[in-house]
Amino acid sequence: MGTVVTLDLFDEMAQPLWALAPIVEEAIGVLHAADEMFSTWKDTSSLSRIRRGELLLDDAPLEIAIVLERCRKARDISKGWFDPWAMPGGVDPTGLVKGWAAQACLNVLRGTNVGGALVNAAGDIASFGGPNKDQRFRIGIADPVHPQQLACVVETPGAIATSGTYERGAHLIDPHSGRAMTRAASATVVGADLSLADALATALVIAGESALTMFDTLNDYEGLVIADDGTFHMTPNFPIV
Amino acid sequence: MNRAPIVLLSTVAGLVGVFSFHSSPAKITFGTVPAAPSTTTPPTTSAPTTTRTSGPKTTTSTPVRNPPPTSTPTTRPTTTITTAPVTTTTVTPSVRQATGVSVNYSFGILSVKVTVSKTTITKVSIAAIDDGGNPRSVSIDQYAIPILQQEALRAQSANIQGVSGASYTSAGFAQSLQSALTQLGL
Repeated sequence: MGTVVTLDLFDEMAQPLWALAPIVEEAIGVLHAADEMFSTWKDTSSLSRIRRGELLLDDAPLEIAIVLERCRKARDISKGWFDPWAMPGGVDPTGLVKGWAAQACLNVLRGTNVGGALVNAAGDIASFGGPNKDQRFRIGIADPVHPQQLACVVETPGAIATSGTYERGAHLIDPHSGRAMTRAASATVVGADLSLADALATALVIAGESALTMFDTLNDYEGLVIADDGTFHMTPNFPIV
Repeated sequence: MNRAPIVLLSTVAGLVGVFSFHSSPAKITFGTVPAAPSTTTPPTTSAPTTTRTSGPKTTTSTPVRNPPPTSTPTTRPTTTITTAPVTTTTVTPSVRQATGVSVNYSFGILSVKVTVSKTTITKVSIAAIDDGGNPRSVSIDQYAIPILQQEALRAQSANIQGVSGASYTSAGFAQSLQSALTQLGL
């Protein structure tokens, strides 16, 4: 599939490379392991085997059960607009796995004790700290309607995920109708954990701005929907700059 | 802030990790980091050449601040597919180029080359593109590149450290561009 993930570390203390390299290697290893377990493009992945009925969840790696539990929680919060069990071909948590893998990769990087780190998995970003001690990370959101521009800049509390029209077809299936369907041009969710942000951004772009109510009872997450006509709809504390 | 990026690149068929380290001051001790593999400009041939790695592979390359390596950057896109280690070349001490990883996009495989002068992006182009002869890639070349060039330039002016979301035709482009920028420490 070729999802490029970039890891950026920021530190004012200039730690030597030899101290960082083993941790970075381990962090990249987390991404590889996630791909081996969850890729629906690989026949031999644990998830593919589960989908074909060749492997029981009880016998599969623990991470699969953890991810599916997060999917259940995201399904509840999104009132069913994110539902991996409604996907054709069997359970498909892909809308959450990328965020989960990037977040797990970031958590390994905490061992470097740097001032800031950012793991960017094709636009789904997990981070801690900032580019220097006075700033948080600033992330631009691509404008889905005017591709040569940024729609806005966001100061991220940690995780930020955007779902958009470029994903149309593969993962943006409306669980209520079973068909590929989106009611927005793009949706962005920020919060503490990227796996949940990833799932909720997917749900939001399918459901449209009326589903922003899902954040009413979710204190640490905020959402933005860019409608097909280019208008912005966001939760009151969405950290737009 | 001075930046002395060190890049670790490991490739497998699925998720590709690219790492860079931004720090100030600039001096970084490399310790036991192995020397960068020698880089060669891909030959211009009509037959596509493909190198594939079968398992996880890690290469470490360090951009040079002292005498730059002599290498001639290609000035026009070729039709060669390459998944060889990505290269960073120094044209003059302040102008540097890097080619991003090859990525799958809607119609095939492409990689992006970016040129920077100090820390400013001056040019973004397609390093290599193979789409099996699909004529739509030509329109991507003509239509998407100027737009994405603007996108890259606009992004750098907003003092941001990343971009979330991408349009349909540019998802793969943005990924490869991102990896090229990361190699250059931007």
